[in-house]
Amino acid sequence: MSVLTSCSFKGQLLIVLAILLPASSSFAQDSGSAPAETPAAKAAERDWDFRWDNRPSLRYGDLLRIDVRARLVTDMRRPDAAFIDNDTSRFDIARRRIGVEGEVGGVADFQIERDFADRRRWRDVYVNYRGLDRIEFQAGQFKLPFGLDENTSSTNLDFVYRSRAARLSPGRDPGLMAHGRVGGGAGIVRYEAGGFTQDGDNGRAGDLPRPSGGWTTAGRLLVQPLRSSTSVFEDFQAGVAYTSSDVQSGIADLRGPSALRDPFYRPEFAVQGMRRRVGLEMRWRPGPFSVQSELVRMASERLGQSVEDLDLPSLTASAWYVHGTWVVTGEKKTAGADEPKRPLFDGGFGSLEFAARVEGVRFSSAGGGPPTTGPRAETILPPRDRAITFGVNWSPNRWIRVQGNLIRDTISIPTGEAPLSGPLVDGPSSSFWSRVVRFRFAL
Amino acid sequence: MSRMRLVAFTLLVMSWAVLLPAASPAHAQTADDLFAPSLHDLQVFMNTRDVQQLRDTYQENTYYQADLEWRGMRVRSVAIRSRGFGSRNPVKPGFGIDFDRFAAGQRFLGLQSLVLDNLWQDGSLVRESVTMALFERLGQPAPREAFTRLFINGEYQGIYSLVEAVDPVFLSRAFGDPGGYAFEYHWLNEFHAEYLGRSLGRYKELFEPASHESDSDTTLYLPLHDLFREINAASSSTWRESVERLLDVRGFLTHVAIEAFVSENDGILGNWAMNNFYLYRPSGSTQHRFIPWDRDNAFLAANTSILLRAGDNILMRRLLEHPDLREFYLQALERCAREGGWLEQAIVTRANLIRAAAYADDRKSFPNDRFEADVAFLIQFARSRPGFVAAEVARLRGEL
Repeated sequence: MSVLTSCSFKGQLLIVLAILLPASSSFAQDSGSAPAETPAAKAAERDWDFRWDNRPSLRYGDLLRIDVRARLVTDMRRPDAAFIDNDTSRFDIARRRIGVEGEVGGVADFQIERDFADRRRWRDVYVNYRGLDRIEFQAGQFKLPFGLDENTSSTNLDFVYRSRAARLSPGRDPGLMAHGRVGGGAGIVRYEAGGFTQDGDNGRAGDLPRPSGGWTTAGRLLVQPLRSSTSVFEDFQAGVAYTSSDVQSGIADLRGPSALRDPFYRPEFAVQGMRRRVGLEMRWRPGPFSVQSELVRMASERLGQSVEDLDLPSLTASAWYVHGTWVVTGEKKTAGADEPKRPLFDGGFGSLEFAARVEGVRFSSAGGGPPTTGPRAETILPPRDRAITFGVNWSPNRWIRVQGNLIRDTISIPTGEAPLSGPLVDGPSSSFWSRVVRFRFAL
Repeated sequence: MSRMRLVAFTLLVMSWAVLLPAASPAHAQTADDLFAPSLHDLQVFMNTRDVQQLRDTYQENTYYQADLEWRGMRVRSVAIRSRGFGSRNPVKPGFGIDFDRFAAGQRFLGLQSLVLDNLWQDGSLVRESVTMALFERLGQPAPREAFTRLFINGEYQGIYSLVEAVDPVFLSRAFGDPGGYAFEYHWLNEFHAEYLGRSLGRYKELFEPASHESDSDTTLYLPLHDLFREINAASSSTWRESVERLLDVRGFLTHVAIEAFVSENDGILGNWAMNNFYLYRPSGSTQHRFIPWDRDNAFLAANTSILLRAGDNILMRRLLEHPDLREFYLQALERCAREGGWLEQAIVTRANLIRAAAYADDRKSFPNDRFEADVAFLIQFARSRPGFVAAEVARLRGEL
């Protein structure tokens, strides 16, 4: 079932609004702009025009621009751990997306994208209205404003897979968001705040009957204090983010992601009540270097979930990462290493980038008794995954990117009281290597 | 002054000696106490949503977390699920309890798991308890049982039978062999001990491991394959030797004799072919033994033949072709027949023990007058069955 067909009436309404909004805004723009131009001149400017601008682009004068976007991503994965799906040592089509993005009347832009290789077929389906100063409105289905890594486009990722922190971030859902920049002429503060029908699709467990957060409020505040300067710190930004949603009674839909995104931990814990996420993030991209870091903490209440219908301590998941990159061929990171200065067969080799990431994720609860694995455990066994990833990214030209990652996962239970159930871990601690190579073609 | 101190100290020690056992019942209780012939009270604490979910999906084997309390001892984070085959129902579900599923290594009175039999198919409620006691009395290891009033979140759920699970703890108690292999037989269709072919998967379908669950199929099932292959091998002078190498033949005949004596309708020679047993294989041995399970269908009628359906089962039929084994079977029946007095006493004692709790059990599947009628029938069975069996044995000997 697609996201669109499965989302609530409120969600569908938002998506319909998203589709209708450009028409109304372009109409408003038409009626109030350029009164000096003659109808004949306007008609001449608005002839349909199809052109190649690094990708197919259809234009209707200055009123409408529609760019066709396509992305094909294949992975070859090889984990050393016997527990991960043995069927992963193969080429795997990770993404097969096609979509359009564009602009309407100079006041709105939109994106519609569908993935034919994912059960969640519809990706971004939204329109963004920017006809006002300092505030824009975005409606439709898109990622909730939480998480730096999660909100980085997949074409700009420094590693094949997003971080564990991104997996704890909400992901996409239908909603309405206000965003913009304030803070002087430079707009050093960027804000995003909105309401969404659910708390994102990252935690939803496919065909399992798992409850997820209902109506969700989300906000993100980023500060780029030297944005207007020309110093090396111009790009430095730091921020905080928050989500809050109400989760109905049921078994938690949270999963502990390991290397290759296969969950190392499938908690069967009953939850009910508020689920809150708090995130801290920073990023700095001086020249060909970059460093970024995030800390995400998610707490789910367990109201009335004990065996005697009493409240249990909240279930907490925490994840963090620090990663750094270096584009050895010299491209500026802010300009994107996937657009090489000297492409292959055009006087160069393309761009080459090295990357490394250290990260961790752990689950816990604040109970006082001995840890157990039951769905209503007061104190859960606190499993933990720490990983280090080494990466090489090669972009021979702007359309093609090859990424190679070598990942070392260490999954452990700090108390060592009992092994995790399930096939993933044989004992209290387990380390293993994984290798993945990704080939990406993008228009 | 020092004398007063000595007196005070002595009094203090004496008071500790008196109070400590009462204050710490956990130290005084064992599994023997749990299975002692008395009527227990067992409290289960479950989230109310889980209680409803378990009843709504009683056909599923989903485990729920619960706390268990018995005689003031509370064991936390046990795993409880609906269980049973024909007796599964949402009104008075049977329960399986694992003590170590959610809490690694946890034991309750040394037990790893426990069964709460809902006694759904037995109007007298005592058939299984009496039959299992008879097995033990005649030297055949069988799960221990005791009656209990079951309460979930303080609400009376009815009378249940606490049944010792066949697991490594049972194997340790019954055979001194915690490392042995035990398999629960699952009825899929009529099985008369035929050879199922070389594929181990066929045996895996029928026999679920109750120990060594993570061992390889070859380790678990190849000896079972060999057993049924030899049972079905062509007649020869070595057939018996081969089978005896893989099966405790005399134990098997005793097991069947007890079932025949109590007119078991759903056992080894049951109306629907083999059913309701575990197979046990000692560690380091290939010789299997049968363990009885679920005797709700015993005491069918006092006049059923002691060879009823014996010809249908390949193993039983071929064993009885040997005169010494046939005589052993008849002797086992004679031993059973000598237990008539004990049998009646066992029925009466148990019925009296549970009568009030049974009457208060409004979830049971039969009315109270059916309880009395069935108990009366069982008493009559105990009085008449020994004579009938003895006469049958004599008649069969006369035919030889």
